[in-house]
Amino acid sequence: MTARSLFIPLTLLLVLAFLIGPFLIIVAASFSAGETLNFPPQGFSLRWILKVFTVESFRASFGMSLFLAIGGTAAALVLGIPASYALSRYKLPGAEIVRTVVSAPIIVPGIIVGLALLRYIVVPFQVGITAALFLAHTALVLPYAVRVVSASLDNLRSDIEEAAVLLGSSRLGAFFRVVMPNIRGGILSAFILGFVTSFNQVPVSLFLSGPGVRTLPIDMIAYMEIVFDPSVAALSSLLAFLSIGIVFAAERFLGFSRYV
Amino acid sequence: MFQNRAEALALALPAALFAAAVFLVPVVILLSDGFRGSDGGWTISAYTDFFSNSLNRTVFLRTLKLGALVTVASAVIGYAAAFAIVSLEPGMKGRMTGLVVLPLMISPVARTYAWIVILGRTGIVNEAFQFLGLTEAPLRVLFSETAIFIGLLQLFLPLMIISLISALENMPKDAIPAARVLGANWFQVFWKVVLPLTKEGLVIGGTLVFTGSLTAYITPAILGGSKVLMLETLLYQQVSVSNNFVSASVIAFILIVMSFAANILLKRVATARNKQRAAQ
Repeated sequence: MTARSLFIPLTLLLVLAFLIGPFLIIVAASFSAGETLNFPPQGFSLRWILKVFTVESFRASFGMSLFLAIGGTAAALVLGIPASYALSRYKLPGAEIVRTVVSAPIIVPGIIVGLALLRYIVVPFQVGITAALFLAHTALVLPYAVRVVSASLDNLRSDIEEAAVLLGSSRLGAFFRVVMPNIRGGILSAFILGFVTSFNQVPVSLFLSGPGVRTLPIDMIAYMEIVFDPSVAALSSLLAFLSIGIVFAAERFLGFSRYV
Repeated sequence: MFQNRAEALALALPAALFAAAVFLVPVVILLSDGFRGSDGGWTISAYTDFFSNSLNRTVFLRTLKLGALVTVASAVIGYAAAFAIVSLEPGMKGRMTGLVVLPLMISPVARTYAWIVILGRTGIVNEAFQFLGLTEAPLRVLFSETAIFIGLLQLFLPLMIISLISALENMPKDAIPAARVLGANWFQVFWKVVLPLTKEGLVIGGTLVFTGSLTAYITPAILGGSKVLMLETLLYQQVSVSNNFVSASVIAFILIVMSFAANILLKRVATARNKQRAAQ
């Protein structure tokens, strides 16, 4: 029995050290006072955390990533909510085909999506870099939007909107006044999931990024190949705390994990 | 259920057409490029060319090998971790599951970057080894298969653990005590009772880890460098360095076939399971 009672805490300690330890090291390294990335950090200072905000390319790429994550997810929801509604409430001809097409971008590796988009849409149709990234991120988030919104629609009884229609509401009115308020949590969860997915995405944007227009993670990879100072560590920790904060708040106020 | 077909199509078509135009059609054209000869006819010469190159073969086999190794390692560690977590009291169990899931929220770039600090020439591992006198010159762990293996394992292990936690929780509570009472040792308990009863979770977790490892870009790009390539980083090089789009198309096709094969396997196991349930 003693071997077994030792097994549990020891296993947990080792596994958590492996999963979370590297992240804690990154956080510690970002408070270093030294010139190069090191652990244990040399001294304590906020200089690298502060430096992150002064690097021009980080500011530009952060803005781009934020725009793609918010705009792309919003666009995916505008397309995805009606599609989910059709899939869940209507006898849709070819429903399986629609479902497969809409959720396919999740199965195909992102780098291939980006390359295909570059060669057969962006180049032939002269699409700008920002527009191309926007299209790619929307396509990437669409499967998540449809999956999460569909799940919350399936959990909502459909007879309440049928009742609203019988009582004289238009189909559209019934959707906005009866259905929407009930799936708000699902939509918000889809938004957060889409936001985090888009924001952290690298492979889709690799080929689509151009001179001066990049997403933040790609900018970070480019920066760390040239400069070996703790500023990427500082930026990584800031971003990690941001996304953990968002997800934590979502769980707390929405019960995020019910939808995802 | 509403019956109006026109309305249903009007709601669903924008999303379907968007995905088809931005994603499906370009990807299909890209894949078909690899089967086109210079005369415009259909051929598989691009594939024979690809595999006749020894570097390409090495990268292909390395990708499969690392995918398999990471999957097996995550299954072994995953069972231990999931067992440990499931045996905790409910409150503690929730907190531990949260800690396991936490890394999934952090940017893969940040998570992979951490290994540079740990495995690099002046990293913790090297400093410790040199301090202990285990090695004189710094070890070159970074930019190796070992580094990629460690990075991928850390990236995907949480997916395996959560799949196995839910599988273990769905197992009948008295299965293990019953097997013990009947005289099975712990190895037999695992092999004959736990494994068959949690097969579904293992396959789900395994598929996620395997396809994730095959198609990871960031980890091999940062931890493998330009020398130790995997299929994704090779694809990137073929396009951005050699401008070889035919070879890129071949790699894309291989990656997609492998992900689809893994997903089909996953569906099969799920349906076999459902049939089994229906038969009972």
